[in-house]
Amino acid sequence: MVQFRDAVSAYKALNGLICVYKPPCVPVKQVMHIVKTNLCRDLNALPGRPIEKRVEIVGSTTEPMQVKLVPNYADNPLVCGPRYINDDIRCSWATHLGLFSSGVLLLGINEGTRITYKINVGRPTRAFKVHGQLGKATDTYFWNGRTMERSTFHHITREKMDKVVAHMQAAHQKTMFEQSGLQMDSQQTYELASQGLIRPADNKLPVIYGMKCVYFNPPNFTLEIQSVNEYDKYLWTLIHDLGVQLKSTAYCTAVQCIRQGKFDVDLALLRKHWSLEHIAYNMNMCQEILDENERLLKPESAILSA
Amino acid sequence: MITKMNAVKVLFRNRTPTVFINRYYATTKKKIPDPDEEESLPIFQYPTSKSSDRNMYLWGLAETGALGIHIPRGKNRKQYRNNFSLCWYPMRSSFAERFDVEQVAAGYGFTVASIKTDEQHKVFGMGINTDSQIGYHAPRMGHPLELLLSPAPIFLPYKSLETKIISIDAGRAHTAILSDNEGVFTLGNNAYGQCGRRINPNEEYNGSMVSYNIKRLGKEKIVSVCCGQDHTLFVTQGGKVFACGWGADGQTGLGTYDNQAVPAAVKGDITTENIVKVASTGDCVLALNDQGELFGWGNSEYGQIPMQCGSQQVNMSYSLREFTRGLGKITDIAAGGSFCLIVNEAGDAFVWGYGLLGLGPNVEHSKTPKQIPSPLFGRNEFNTEARVEKVACGIGHLAAITNDGHLYMWGRNRQGCLGLGSSKDQTFPLKVAIGGHVLKVTCGVDHSVAVCRPFT
Repeated sequence: MVQFRDAVSAYKALNGLICVYKPPCVPVKQVMHIVKTNLCRDLNALPGRPIEKRVEIVGSTTEPMQVKLVPNYADNPLVCGPRYINDDIRCSWATHLGLFSSGVLLLGINEGTRITYKINVGRPTRAFKVHGQLGKATDTYFWNGRTMERSTFHHITREKMDKVVAHMQAAHQKTMFEQSGLQMDSQQTYELASQGLIRPADNKLPVIYGMKCVYFNPPNFTLEIQSVNEYDKYLWTLIHDLGVQLKSTAYCTAVQCIRQGKFDVDLALLRKHWSLEHIAYNMNMCQEILDENERLLKPESAILSA
Repeated sequence: MITKMNAVKVLFRNRTPTVFINRYYATTKKKIPDPDEEESLPIFQYPTSKSSDRNMYLWGLAETGALGIHIPRGKNRKQYRNNFSLCWYPMRSSFAERFDVEQVAAGYGFTVASIKTDEQHKVFGMGINTDSQIGYHAPRMGHPLELLLSPAPIFLPYKSLETKIISIDAGRAHTAILSDNEGVFTLGNNAYGQCGRRINPNEEYNGSMVSYNIKRLGKEKIVSVCCGQDHTLFVTQGGKVFACGWGADGQTGLGTYDNQAVPAAVKGDITTENIVKVASTGDCVLALNDQGELFGWGNSEYGQIPMQCGSQQVNMSYSLREFTRGLGKITDIAAGGSFCLIVNEAGDAFVWGYGLLGLGPNVEHSKTPKQIPSPLFGRNEFNTEARVEKVACGIGHLAAITNDGHLYMWGRNRQGCLGLGSSKDQTFPLKVAIGGHVLKVTCGVDHSVAVCRPFT
């Protein structure tokens, strides 16, 4: 925990990246708003800077005049309002999380907004736990949709699930090369490909690097997915496609981001901890991770590093 | 729980952008799904496949009919798409939906497939039939077909209808079909003795009805058969290898460069070994013994069978134990036109010879076995288990199957035979999009065939 003596030094220290746990059904915008509001609340609770004095020159102009320092009511928080308001704090997300997704969300505070931009451009992988349920298909592919179809799922076993999931994952190998913007018949492409995974050149099409079924208890199952450029609706459609390939139907029940780059879910601040002390501590932790992994911000080649 | 969910749904569905100030009432009535509606829906049961079901996918040049696929054009079902010349994506064959396909072999422009049945027609052929390599098919007397566009049964004189076909292979213009009790049946061209019978220089192969039966070799049962370009190799139960056919490059391994009409035991280092697998597509032959050691003979123009004397034709089997030292136990082998491909126990693929080897565009020739980087077969930090298990080679293209049943192909893309959706050559392994667990792949000269098990 970080203890601050006064609001000025605390505000100056608030430059960097934080990692919060976004609850489901709360939009990212609202998360940022809450974080900002909480920061302002805590900053205003700290002893602020002394109230500015007003210089008053009194007396008759023909005689030597008196210079006095009197309290400046225009600078009094009771008059001009709290010292820190939401507009004083800049805040931005590194990668968006959909409304119904939960999990790791990286936010940049003040100068940290530059870091979030770099993370966004660097495109680290995100790991997701995507929960699904077999036997039902909805029109949105998610639990909030209307049920369109029901089907049996007793024929689905863990082995079949694993096979289809492995197939879906391997099918993305070609997408990986297509999205990397490399010439397929060049030596450079071969060298990159033989080293491992390649990150996509643009931020448009989703690329899946790893996909695994980590929990299977029909009708419920959980997939662990490592990917770049994905978005919540894409993950829902993956579950739907999986259901179709398994000769059944499936819909997504929850999407949870458990890792982004090197930022783990253990690091993420829960909603109850979105206060100045915890955020400042978390900011230091994130900075340590950033210092350890410089390639997170400045990827040197198309090789996937995180 | 449902009421709570609905409450949340209402909350978020009503987030319409407020154009007018202070308008907090809903403008349209949102339809909240009725939980009872779900109960009234019927429960579908989709058909699932049996574990014995097999799918067959084919791709490459379709003009020869080797794919056995017709694409109807227009409303009139009799019209066929006449510009269907090649197929550069794997296409599922309807033939395999009707019959239980077991063994397949891809020859030079033709395909042979055996099915599980107790009836007369156990083997079907499609494609080029200029030398009667897929049997005699004549809609009119005396006018045999030289090209079959769809699968047709091959007549073979089985003694018992319960005979099962256990192995098939096809060469340039001949086919060898191995049954479990009745030995090998050979069909097609015998100009070099590749059918294992006496060479008749005046024999007419087009429209021939001849099939030859080799029951046993060296008083032992034949367990596997392999066709090269114009030669045939037989492996017996005791691990002996017999060869017949063209021997100009020494591919019969009999110590001579003459053609061999009657199968004879291969000489050299393998005579004392228990051979389990023989691989040959062109003129180079590789053999694998039960210890996982490699042997080779035949054409060595590109250093496929490196000899100390630098000979380009190896006419006797020669141990490659020293050559493959340090690679571990070898589990599968494949010999292409000018290169060889092997897999070791650890699931790494090694390649040597000349051509597009899968080592990038800069490596055209490799004298020693070079490993194809395993990340190309899907082994990465997220999936550390991926191993290559089976390999196959065509004349200019290569294929590998991993333990997950994924097919990777690379090499010369003649007529789209790589199945990667383009006609460009591929310099490193790339996954072929097949919707099933690939069990076996065979490569011809300009087409490939894969047998898969459906996922569900």
